[in-house]
Amino acid sequence: MSLPAAATRFLFFTGKGGVGKTSLSCATGLALAEAGKRVLIVSTDPASNLDEVLGAALGPAPTPVPGVRGLFALNIDPEAAAAAYRERMVAPYRGVLPTAAVRSMEEQFSGACTVEIAAFDEFSKLLGDPATTADFEHIVFDTAPTGHTLRLLSLPTAWDSYIASSTGGASCLGPLAGLEAQKALYAATVHQLADAAQTTVILVSRPESAALREAERTRAELAALGIDNQCLAINGVFTAARADDAIAVAMARRGAEALARMPAALARLEHTTTPFLPRGTVGLDALRAMAHPEALPVPDGGMPHPHTALPEGLAAMVDALAQGGRGVIMTMGKGGVGKTTIAAAIALALAERGHAVTLSTTDPAAHVADTLAEAVPGLSVARIDPVQEVADYTREVLDKAGERLDAAGRALLEEDLRSPCTEEIAVFRAFARTVDAGRDGFVVLDTAPTGHTLLLLDAAEAYHREVMRTRGDMPEAVRDLLPRLRDAQFTRVLIVTLPEATPVHEAERLQADLARAGIVLFGWVVNQSVLASGTQDALLMQRGGYEIPFIRRVADVPGRRCAVVSWRATEPVGPAGLRPLAAT
Amino acid sequence: MKKLEVFDPAMCCPTGVCGVEVDPVLAQFAADLQWLGAHGVEVLRHNLGQAPQAFAANAAVLKEMEAGMERLPIVMVDGSIVATGVYPSRAQLAQKLGLALTAEAAPRLKAQGCCPPDSGCC
Repeated sequence: MSLPAAATRFLFFTGKGGVGKTSLSCATGLALAEAGKRVLIVSTDPASNLDEVLGAALGPAPTPVPGVRGLFALNIDPEAAAAAYRERMVAPYRGVLPTAAVRSMEEQFSGACTVEIAAFDEFSKLLGDPATTADFEHIVFDTAPTGHTLRLLSLPTAWDSYIASSTGGASCLGPLAGLEAQKALYAATVHQLADAAQTTVILVSRPESAALREAERTRAELAALGIDNQCLAINGVFTAARADDAIAVAMARRGAEALARMPAALARLEHTTTPFLPRGTVGLDALRAMAHPEALPVPDGGMPHPHTALPEGLAAMVDALAQGGRGVIMTMGKGGVGKTTIAAAIALALAERGHAVTLSTTDPAAHVADTLAEAVPGLSVARIDPVQEVADYTREVLDKAGERLDAAGRALLEEDLRSPCTEEIAVFRAFARTVDAGRDGFVVLDTAPTGHTLLLLDAAEAYHREVMRTRGDMPEAVRDLLPRLRDAQFTRVLIVTLPEATPVHEAERLQADLARAGIVLFGWVVNQSVLASGTQDALLMQRGGYEIPFIRRVADVPGRRCAVVSWRATEPVGPAGLRPLAAT
Repeated sequence: MKKLEVFDPAMCCPTGVCGVEVDPVLAQFAADLQWLGAHGVEVLRHNLGQAPQAFAANAAVLKEMEAGMERLPIVMVDGSIVATGVYPSRAQLAQKLGLALTAEAAPRLKAQGCCPPDSGCC
């Protein structure tokens, strides 16, 4: 077992949410620094927890990590970058143009596109401009969740082909137009990423089918962008210490089976493994343990069984949800906490109580269809697929507006529909449409990872303002979206978390963000509790003991509705695998 | 050479597809400007969201905007305002520029003569 090799100057860690990108990138950066290198760790994740893992207060400039010579880190906050960009564009015109004109410019720069692009702009400065990183021998990127990362990485290609094919003269980069001058920098960024002598992409995965599938998807998409210098890091490999503990045996077996079924192209990559660490990876000591697991004390079997009074199971929460008879149920949280599984278990339980239920997802990496493959009466499964939504939206626009246009007008319209904004708009409309369906029955949505979800809600807010201002006709579903999300009788938001430091802290931040957006929580679900599973395995009992303070922290807030779901020996896939989750 | 300048309200793109609802008038107008360009007219188009300097530098445009943002879009021919608050049709543009409009060149979209300035451009 070892950390990934650091053969190149730039190292990128990517993978499904919760697989340990931040842990591995920090452990790798720490090991390099302790071997005498000067290292910069960078996060571009809107939901970054780099500060927590490294135990340092970080900002947009390289900050030394206390206690480690040569280790620096920085955190790019896309929201702050967007605000700075907006200000740079608008400020020169205050007092020059009428106030109303300045306000309309500001609104123009308030959308999700601007946030996405501003973050990429910051990222490009680090990668495409050698001067900013000249002081460092290694630059380690703890990149954002996969779907987001891919969008960031694939944008320059989209722009290149977009700008090259633009015949109308006026570019349709919209809020990005101010960045068009940066084209050379973006080209340098893509070039850098594809240079195997400079850049390694480390695909991080857990020994789980869904995470490995995601790694394969990323591998193929990056390879298509010409980024071939990839390796695989399998994190959290568990070995059962005894053969008579059903939970431990199942955990080890499920891991081994998932690895054995790994897609062939992924299996051909060079790979490293790091072990299951029962006490998490927050703090420098825990990160060192990741590099040197052999130094950890082996737990003996004689320890007392950890115990705490657990909150009730998911069944009581489903009963409470069922009382409304209809409406939208959203499961939110950091990637990898099991939002999809919990959403599917709730949808199944509601359908089996006789309700009409639609299970839907906005998560680009979702595997809803995989976890609920068999048909259940009253339950339908829908997916918001960005590619499909863009295709549908494009066709709808061309049908509606295009038929009244001549050939030149139609060509221009088609060209503008290829702009990066179109996906945002198309997905947003699909989201609004799905929420609207909650008027007639239950709609259970497993929303995208935290950062992207917030962008979506922010887009909702910007849209909301736009809608109030517009006289033109507007799909009613879009107009009603934000008021519906804020109506606690109509929309019930559940935060899903794991009984671990980072997921709990991120869930608390998410709750605060939702409160600011005027959205009240229905309840919390603590998922995959090893403590609740009743295992007797020494390593897993150690893990169970580690969970207690986090379960208490979530459950002991007065007036909060909370449920605990235990880690299960059978995989929560299909009706038979999902049913036990909400049975008690 | 005749010069046509358009001062658009803040919007994503000249066809307006980035808005919540696409306005076919905007898409047709963009095509009409291309047609004018092909017939020897110098066409300049400024978007308030992307090229505010063009608005700030034009006293006549500033005066209109101070009177109300609904005056956008503003269309100028050789420095004189010929339309405010609407996107003129191809026939109207041709007439203001003294161009002959053949039957073949006439677009299929009937002139609506009016596009609310905030009707669907992000």
